[in-house]
Amino acid sequence: MQSLANPARFLKIANAVLPWVWAAAALSLAAGLYGALAAAPADYQQGETVRIIFVHVPAAWMALFVYTVMASASAAAIVFRHPLADVAAKAAAPIGAAFCFLALVTGSIWGKPMWGAWWVWDARLTSMFVLLLLYLGYMAIWQAIDEPHRAAQIARIVALVGFVNVPVVKFSVDWWNSLHQPASVFRMGGPTIHISILWPLLVMGLAYTLLFLALHLVAMRSEIAARKIRQLRIARIGDR
Amino acid sequence: MDLASPHTGFVAAAYVISALVLFGLTAFILMRDRRLRAEAEALDHQRAKDAR
Repeated sequence: MQSLANPARFLKIANAVLPWVWAAAALSLAAGLYGALAAAPADYQQGETVRIIFVHVPAAWMALFVYTVMASASAAAIVFRHPLADVAAKAAAPIGAAFCFLALVTGSIWGKPMWGAWWVWDARLTSMFVLLLLYLGYMAIWQAIDEPHRAAQIARIVALVGFVNVPVVKFSVDWWNSLHQPASVFRMGGPTIHISILWPLLVMGLAYTLLFLALHLVAMRSEIAARKIRQLRIARIGDR
Repeated sequence: MDLASPHTGFVAAAYVISALVLFGLTAFILMRDRRLRAEAEALDHQRAKDAR
């Protein structure tokens, strides 16, 4: 990891792996969509509405995973002073926010026919909404503070403090009485979902993960370019 | 998938919104990357030119 912290080396590796990651993401997305829309049967209780789960659940997984990446990178920035750690955290935030937004919207679309309501202030839904606010707050800090070093210091703290919400989202269905169903894939004792529904769900999860990886690498590359532009402009002013 | 199901509209809406958000995010990130890398390269060339 230390060797990857060099931006030049990171760019070289990222440029080499990106075409393969894009290709893997496209293939797994195609396989996942086939499984979700064609191969998976309708649920005996939910009917065709179960197909919303194939875009809702992976988006929710990614919202939690990306925040964990952001918090880990922020911790690495504080402890190890990796030059790329803040870049990684900052680049991950908009992608995580998009997945979190999708989880909330697709969950709401599923909720209307199944629960009879677009939204309820349930523990899972509320904690997920708090997660979206944390993403937006983290992004607002980078936008509001011009000096990158100072913005990074505050953003790292927000990312780490906000990480408390990640286990709250995950275990909210166990800790409180919730309308939302309990964990049915990542749980002690194994998944409770039938294999015909489980495999498209896992393939869609893989596709979203690969899409995140590709977008994150590109966004990190952009952030490195943005920092270089800032340095070159400052150097140009200094030369005058 | 049974298109005559009473909830097909909800399923379609979830997939269309997911596609729009993910496609929009991908396009935004790729276009920003292209713009910033071109700008950094141009400034780099300018700096090298000024140094000569």
